[in-house]
Amino acid sequence: MQKKLFFLVLLLASANVFGQSKFIAKNAYISFFSSTPMEDILGESNEAVTILNAETGEIGFQALMTTFHFKRALMEEHFNENYMESTKFPKAKFNGKIDGFNKEMLKAPLANIKITGLLNVHGVEKSITVNGMLGLESGKLVGTSKFKVTPEDYGITIPSLVRDKIGKEMEITVKATYLTFGN
Amino acid sequence: MKTKYIIFAGFFLILIGAGIGLKMFFKPHADISKLKTEYKVEASGLILEFEQDENAATAKYSEKILEISGNLVSKNKLPNGTNLLVLHDEMQGISCQLDSIWAAANQSAIEALETGKAVTVKGICKGYLMEIKVSPAIIVSK
Repeated sequence: MQKKLFFLVLLLASANVFGQSKFIAKNAYISFFSSTPMEDILGESNEAVTILNAETGEIGFQALMTTFHFKRALMEEHFNENYMESTKFPKAKFNGKIDGFNKEMLKAPLANIKITGLLNVHGVEKSITVNGMLGLESGKLVGTSKFKVTPEDYGITIPSLVRDKIGKEMEITVKATYLTFGN
Repeated sequence: MKTKYIIFAGFFLILIGAGIGLKMFFKPHADISKLKTEYKVEASGLILEFEQDENAATAKYSEKILEISGNLVSKNKLPNGTNLLVLHDEMQGISCQLDSIWAAANQSAIEALETGKAVTVKGICKGYLMEIKVSPAIIVSK
């Protein structure tokens, strides 16, 4: 069944190559940042995958939690084992749509956009609207966004002993350089 | 005299505790070259396993040390300077981000890699997102 589904997806993807109606980034950047009195916590991944539908302005974004790297190995362990429970919830997903999308946005220089969609982290799904930028940068289609999330909204519990020391909100930064599908 | 010993023992225990705590806090990232390979696989076989049953393959390989042999289809650098090797298929193959410390010390080995030729990579399997993600990884000389 999985195999059939895979080939169906592959077929749909290859059908779109001819119309070039999709853009993809396989090594998109995503980070989360939080400040503590002791030191800043920064987790970064260059392994997120995002697909942008050039016809509809729909954006899909996925990241594997275990691909986030931290300055300290201990931070990485805590992030995966205690907070994100990465074995149980291996992926973070966002599926949304650019507000007021038109195809010209893909050919114009970087400009502000708003994206509304569903963010699924730690198995909890929430509707969010985030600000971002989309457009050409050095001849390539680039999408960026910076927004804040509260871990507790996604069922992530931080022990009270350290809760006060970590900022209530975490800052998420995303940057993707898109290629047309098949190129 | 007895109290003295108790104070000394207490102080000694605190020292050991603090030492362990500090060691854990400053624990370095894993050195891939020194870790034991858990699975030796061919790129095509690994991809097939993920395509057939992603959940089962993720449970089997995620966070495990893999040695993967396959055809190198691309060699690039990400904007942050990380070396990226893709095995077997550009779109749905195996994406390996090389360990930055290892890469800095092994520039010539990376430069010598040629696309279209066989390569063996050792690294931590992170799972499947359109392609199999392996990071950090190193090149295994044959």
